Amino acid sequence: MRKGRGLKLYCAALYAFLYAPLAVMTVFSFNRAHRNVVWLGFSLKWYGVLFHDAEMMRAALTTLELAVSASAISGALGLLAAYALVRHKPFPGRGVYATLLDVPLMIPEVALGVGLLSFLVRMGYELNFGALACAHALICLPYAVGAVRARLQSSGGERLEEAAMDLGADEWTAFRKVTLPLAMPAVVSGALLAFTISFGDFVTSFFLSGIGVTTLPVKIYSMMKFGVTPEINALSVLLLAATFVLLGVNALFASNPGESSVRA
Amino acid sequence: MLDRALSWLLGGRRPTASHLLLAPSAVWLTIFLLLPSAGLLALSFAHNGPYGAVSWTLGLQNYRRAFNPEYVPVLLRTLVFSGGTTLICLLLGYPLAYYLSFRAGRRRGALIIALMVPFWTSALVAFYSWMIILGREGLLNAVLRRLGLVSAPLALLYTPFSLFLGLVYFYLPFTVLPLYGSLEKIPRQYVEAAYDLGAGRWSAFRQVTLPLSMPGIVAAVLLTFVPCLGDFLTAELLGGPRYYLVGNLISNQFLMAQDWPFGAALTCLLLAGLVGGLWLYRRWEAVA
Repeated sequence: MRKGRGLKLYCAALYAFLYAPLAVMTVFSFNRAHRNVVWLGFSLKWYGVLFHDAEMMRAALTTLELAVSASAISGALGLLAAYALVRHKPFPGRGVYATLLDVPLMIPEVALGVGLLSFLVRMGYELNFGALACAHALICLPYAVGAVRARLQSSGGERLEEAAMDLGADEWTAFRKVTLPLAMPAVVSGALLAFTISFGDFVTSFFLSGIGVTTLPVKIYSMMKFGVTPEINALSVLLLAATFVLLGVNALFASNPGESSVRA
Repeated sequence: MLDRALSWLLGGRRPTASHLLLAPSAVWLTIFLLLPSAGLLALSFAHNGPYGAVSWTLGLQNYRRAFNPEYVPVLLRTLVFSGGTTLICLLLGYPLAYYLSFRAGRRRGALIIALMVPFWTSALVAFYSWMIILGREGLLNAVLRRLGLVSAPLALLYTPFSLFLGLVYFYLPFTVLPLYGSLEKIPRQYVEAAYDLGAGRWSAFRQVTLPLSMPGIVAAVLLTFVPCLGDFLTAELLGGPRYYLVGNLISNQFLMAQDWPFGAALTCLLLAGLVGGLWLYRRWEAVA
């Protein structure tokens, strides 16, 4: 099976290529030296610098608030839309609407960014936190809809809902008591994906961050303009760690079939 | 009030529960996606006044200008880099997709998640790290010098090489996943039947597996090429001032040159290319 081993090695190399930059950055974030390529010993000082930087802390807070708002808005809109698309009788334009819901995912972010920028500015709307949160909710919407849709289609809850309605529940009660608990893991998973997308987003934030609204990725970008510093490494590693944690939690929700979540 | 507005939109039909449930997302899509897009389309026919003002005498001048000798190289460069990236990703990604669907066994799930992780992490962070690696004073040059392979540092960053590298790095998962999806669906018996009929590994692959994975290849080409056309961040960070793409040209018109109508026309051209690509794909899907 020498041939099989060659393919295996090739794939390992490809994964190494994908993870190399992340590994390099992590290693150098613990470097005592100012310059990146010289290793002067292990140190946590760049993380310390980061946490004593008031501007950085403010950007971190903005990024978190933004991600929470975007995932809450997109989660709510996505749940309603996914429910109507999956459970209600097909209505004219359903296919078109489902495609439209995916457009924020397919459209180049630069087109979305300049479109929103020119629209909001020409409408005389100030670029502030609210505008950015709305834009982030838009780019997160496909993830929220997708997660809940897949769950509703596969969970077989339709029969349970019908049973509930046969037993005298109206649609709202059936939704609250049956559909929502069934869909909950997917709602959480969609919201976590939305959180991850918003948290790491650069392009949309770059075009729409008005005065005083700076997210961490935008902050990294503006620091990069002044050259490569280990502080950016430390910040990037923290962003990376946050993403890994989010994806890990999401994997827990996604892999758990959640059958036990239906209660009488 | 909402009921009235809805029934007007629906041409007098009574709104159903579905419409009410879809209304919030529809409002969102209208305000933040459809209206800005319509605004860009309108803007693309307007004239640029002094100091970034917009005068609404409509014409096609912005589109004509996009095909000026000054900008044609940018459009061509975008096509060349997108095409090249798609080809490289396809060649690099096909063996990986093949491994994932036929050989990976129990590790498959973990490997697919591992493939997606770089996609979910902020691209900015990964590209920043590539800048550390590829820079004149960067890691790669330091290693090469230590090994005595080069005497002077190589110019790696802000070259076609670094741009290709960044694009391939970012878009590789976009190529591998559709390939994997279609390879996964090939019934194993077909390949075994080819072996039983005396085909070698290579001819079984060439005559059975490869043709059956064609839908995946077409989807992979589309899902790599189209997002590549609209790339902004990769070229901004790894292409440098010389190797920029149409996405960067658009961004410059809006943020630096203050020529919004021209930027809007470029965006509309980009979106037209995208829609054209998707339409061709639909046609191909319908025929195949």
